Amino acid sequence: MTLAPDSPLHSEGFLTTRVDAVVNWARSNSLMPMPMGLACCAIEMMAFAAPKYDVARFGSEAMRFSPRQADLMIVAGWVSYKMAHTIRRIWDQMADPKWCIAMGACASTGGMHRCYGVVQGCDNFLPVDVYVPGCPPRPEAVIHAIMDIQEKVRNEYSVATDAHRGKGAPEPTPLRPRVLTPGGDRVISPVALYDQEAL
Amino acid sequence: MATRTLAFHFTPVDGPRAVEGTRNPHAKATTFDPDTVEALQAAFPDAVGEVFLYANEHTVYVDRSRIVDVCRFLKEDRGFEYLADMGGIDLFVEGTRYEVFYNLVSLSRSRRLRLKIRVNEDDAVVPSITGIYRAAGWNERECWDMFGIRFDGHPDLRRMYMPEDFEYHPLRKEFPLLGVPGSLPLPPQTPEAGLTLDPFAAAHGSRPVKSFEEAESDLARQ
Repeated sequence: MTLAPDSPLHSEGFLTTRVDAVVNWARSNSLMPMPMGLACCAIEMMAFAAPKYDVARFGSEAMRFSPRQADLMIVAGWVSYKMAHTIRRIWDQMADPKWCIAMGACASTGGMHRCYGVVQGCDNFLPVDVYVPGCPPRPEAVIHAIMDIQEKVRNEYSVATDAHRGKGAPEPTPLRPRVLTPGGDRVISPVALYDQEAL
Repeated sequence: MATRTLAFHFTPVDGPRAVEGTRNPHAKATTFDPDTVEALQAAFPDAVGEVFLYANEHTVYVDRSRIVDVCRFLKEDRGFEYLADMGGIDLFVEGTRYEVFYNLVSLSRSRRLRLKIRVNEDDAVVPSITGIYRAAGWNERECWDMFGIRFDGHPDLRRMYMPEDFEYHPLRKEFPLLGVPGSLPLPPQTPEAGLTLDPFAAAHGSRPVKSFEEAESDLARQ
């Protein structure tokens, strides 16, 4: 898959890579969130998109209020049983592939609303990818959730697999970032970047 | 350099108001209206029951069947043109289990008055006052939704918060805090599955699948 070291194409500015790596890199940096703002977490979600915290650095500043144009649902706030049906409907209308963040204690577990009218965690009806603790979470925590989603986008999902879905295509090995360490070239998870001792 | 004393400016706290007849620091003069209570007793000698005075607030118990007349009298003759609040109370006792309260405000005279009626559990029907105070419409719907007290003459007595096919009244004391399992369905786990009747599906091991993990649907094949 790689060019030979003495290939003349190097001098022409070419490099080779996998389709998954390029496509997932592009997609992970252009997530369009569907802001499902249900309560006070939505206020913090506005701060996360606003200039000070500036989620545009991660390519996710374009909030899309149409489910057809969004690929990341941020469930921000407590979910009532009545609203749950609407959320699931909007989730079903979002185009594949799509991801979901349960933002805050209420969306993740029901939080302090331990009562008959509030769903005790939106993972009862949504496939949640990232849970964000906090009441409400700081914008940094939501940005961290976006980064976790980006890692999922880069590593979990393959365009090639999607194209061959149902035809028994082999699962490609997940792409992991390479980090040069004194011990040599190691493949690690980006999560380990936060753990300096592991390096 | 001379030392400078920093001046802190706290919001001044109101001292207890000197209200006649009570030493309760929360008592306000605006809730004390004995003239209206006397006028009510004179106009409806058989409908007005006990009158309680606590913290300078008058609470007048009224006969359930005369609540509309009492409200009309208060609105037209005594200037109580604003219904601030109304709702239900579950005392959870035998017999007259429920109460319905009405907090009335006279904006022109700066006075407040609280009416209460007792409602029997076997016959939880109260005449609607939407003909007098249109604002009571949603409060009466809420009271019907939460306590199951019907309001006779309400133009549109639907539930306020819970779904229309819900069978219970959640603010009744016997209603369990986390609800009755299966009474409120959750959405389906996939677009074509049935409703989820378990309110704690995730805790019981169910995990909604990602959409690309779902089985191919008949609709997609068509």
